[in-house]
Amino acid sequence: MGNSEMARANRHLDTTRKMKEMLPRFFMRMMERRFNNEPLAWCMVGVPPELLKAFDLLFEWPENFSTICASRLIAPHFIEVAETDGYSTELCSYVTNTMGYCKLFVEKGEAPPESPLPGGMGTPSMLLGSGFICEPRWKWFQSIATRFFNVPVYSSDPLAPPWDVDPRDPRIENHYLCLLREDLAGQIKFLERETGKKLDRHHLREILILSHQALAYWRDTLSLRKNVPTPMGSTDYFHAIIPQMYLVGEQEAVDFYREMYEEVKERSAMKKGIVEDEKYRFIWFGLPPWFNMGVFNYLESFGAVFVYESTYNVGDYFEVDVSDPLEAIVRRTWQRAVWMHDYGAEAMPEICNPAVFGGFVGSSLLEELVRDFKIDGAIMNLTRSCRAISFGEVHTKNRLAKLGIPSLIFESDMADPRLWSDAQIKTRLHAFLETVEKAKQGGR
Amino acid sequence: MEDSDNHLFKENPTIAENNRRIRRLKKESGKPVIGYLCCFAPPEMISAAGALPFRLTGIPGGDNSEADAYIEPYGCAYARNILARAVRGDYDFLDGLVISHSCDMVQRLYGIWNYYHPLPYSYLFNVPHQLTPWAQRFYKRELIFFKDSLEKFTGQEITETALRKEIDSYNHNRTLIRDLYALRRVNPPLIKGSEMLNLLLAGGVMPAEDFSFLLETTLAEIRRRHNEQTTGPRILGWGSIMDDPALYRLIEKAGGSVVADDTCIGMRLWEKNIPLPGDLYNGFLEQYFIDFQCPRTDRGPGIKRFDYLLERIDQYDIDGVVGYIISFCDPHKFDYPDLRDLLKKEGIPMLLIDDNYSFEPAEALMTRLEAFIEML
Ligand code: SF4
Ligand code: SF4
Repeated sequence: MGNSEMARANRHLDTTRKMKEMLPRFFMRMMERRFNNEPLAWCMVGVPPELLKAFDLLFEWPENFSTICASRLIAPHFIEVAETDGYSTELCSYVTNTMGYCKLFVEKGEAPPESPLPGGMGTPSMLLGSGFICEPRWKWFQSIATRFFNVPVYSSDPLAPPWDVDPRDPRIENHYLCLLREDLAGQIKFLERETGKKLDRHHLREILILSHQALAYWRDTLSLRKNVPTPMGSTDYFHAIIPQMYLVGEQEAVDFYREMYEEVKERSAMKKGIVEDEKYRFIWFGLPPWFNMGVFNYLESFGAVFVYESTYNVGDYFEVDVSDPLEAIVRRTWQRAVWMHDYGAEAMPEICNPAVFGGFVGSSLLEELVRDFKIDGAIMNLTRSCRAISFGEVHTKNRLAKLGIPSLIFESDMADPRLWSDAQIKTRLHAFLETVEKAKQGGR
Repeated sequence: MEDSDNHLFKENPTIAENNRRIRRLKKESGKPVIGYLCCFAPPEMISAAGALPFRLTGIPGGDNSEADAYIEPYGCAYARNILARAVRGDYDFLDGLVISHSCDMVQRLYGIWNYYHPLPYSYLFNVPHQLTPWAQRFYKRELIFFKDSLEKFTGQEITETALRKEIDSYNHNRTLIRDLYALRRVNPPLIKGSEMLNLLLAGGVMPAEDFSFLLETTLAEIRRRHNEQTTGPRILGWGSIMDDPALYRLIEKAGGSVVADDTCIGMRLWEKNIPLPGDLYNGFLEQYFIDFQCPRTDRGPGIKRFDYLLERIDQYDIDGVVGYIISFCDPHKFDYPDLRDLLKKEGIPMLLIDDNYSFEPAEALMTRLEAFIEML
């Protein structure tokens, strides 16, 4: 733990490497505003980031903060603090990481000095949760507000229809749309009260337009990974999500995704891959092990590349009319639910996602992906502490097996490295590469 | 261990009986059997549609290996056990499945179950996580969809009269159960925690009228009892689902008396009646959603969310709380630190048992329970 040879990851794109300059600039701007005691919201993925921008609200993403703690190898320390407080190791490690952080923060009266990012996450003045994806997210902010920061909480509740009802049945559609609309209205009312500002719909519309432009570039970039050799791998992919979280609705984010798209397009035209000799094309399921992102580079050293990831995916294009920006947020959420439904949502969790990043691949989408992305195998991180996202991996494996695609499910976590052993992982990866090689030879 | 306790750690002997009974009933009545998990979807509705509701339970410590081909090893072993049993054909008498979206685990189980082993009827009763006015409206619409789907399956209209009749029977049982619980308020209690749980479990798998009969005869018998239990510290059982009296029996063996509970199959289902006459859908809303104290529903931050529990602790004169959490049960794992601190402040000792739905190893459990009860 902590000294895995896979702790460091190399990226391949110039654009994502440039984030090194871009993000600190953003964090410095945030810090200045924090010193002015502006209201600060801690938010969960699922809260429409465009809304935060429209209210010009300072925000933090504890989930993303946890991924950073994990990659800087400080997460185990925070997690242990939470454990001594009674939070079980089985709970989501993003949660326990945050709970440990909060405990130290409250004890010290300021961000624990070991925190990553300048000044860690600041004192929240409100918590904006979302029940999107999982239930721990309901309990998480409830616990923070109960134990550490007694501040107002608004959790939104974007329910989605189960896989065996017809979302195109107008009654069903209306049933869910009503909830989504009323919930969003509740969220806005809360924000208006807490910030003392009125929502400027015109401003929100502009932000949505920019946000969707950025997402369109992101989606087009991902689609270029169908090319052989793939022009982009997972280490770039998983880092490239950050601008959409922090700089959403800003021209800077659109420029970032456009540049990334152009770079990847150029690489595709030049047939410039990320490895010398691309042998195996994989799909990644689950959250990545943020503490050992070098595992992707390790696989690359054997000619294995990832061309698709299930998590943080933006999916298809949102054909939403933004003239009424609130209705646009509701509609795109619903649209995602309907896609997911069409792809097969039998193993899906809550699938409505107002944050426009998804985490799942519907089982009937698999066939399309295997064909279009020329997939040879799948690797799945069975995250012990996040069952919400790892649930369905066995089912996906079953479905892929029907298509002749082998899968490897390995047990680890996203932020807690304690289940990881380099030696074991290597053994399993090597055995899997052999299986894939055999499957390829056998012509499936 | 004494002979009489031998079944505890294997199959609950009543399961085989229950299955036999439901098969017989199904044959005699010609009615379909609809299995259900959790109680956000009113079982009264299932009965009013002319079907037999059957609360699905698992076998603690049972073999879950059949589930491995479909779901991941990390996850609540109770839910995994239910799936394993379904795959094995233990529920071959089921014609339908209703799962309420209570926790993540069962919500996901729904899709996998009816993907691989579809039944003629299935319904996921979706439940919001908050009690906002729009969440309540959603719940009420969900009731209507549930009603429609049942009617479509059984071909029998759920009339207002039929629903009223079912609610009336369930209300009758709720009253009887409260009467039984009242006998636990006295010291020493007249009915053991394990006996009470066995009764409630039996009630989940039989028609309301049969359950009434069982409750009435039990009540009559118990009223004749004279302080059969020895006085021991008064315990409240809190936590994940307990669909087997094994833990309560161990507590009793260790010298404690389980006199109240806060778990899925316990008081929370019977605390009050659905008002009749009245708007039945409002009645369901209140009974099965607003007042249904399951930690999966967000009642806002702060420890006020445990007020109902403190009240119960007071009413039943509780000396200590035994918490029972099944591995990977997020709703309870999250609540534990807050509850532990609150109880500490209130001077109520709490023992937490983390278990993989097996009540094993029994000896170690026993040692901990004995130490706790002695301390009380
Ligand atoms: S989806 Fe997983 S990682 Fe995200 S908050 Fe829920 S349990 Fe944690
Ligand atoms: S015991 Fe917990 S995790 Fe298991 S089904 Fe019940 S609430 Fe869900």
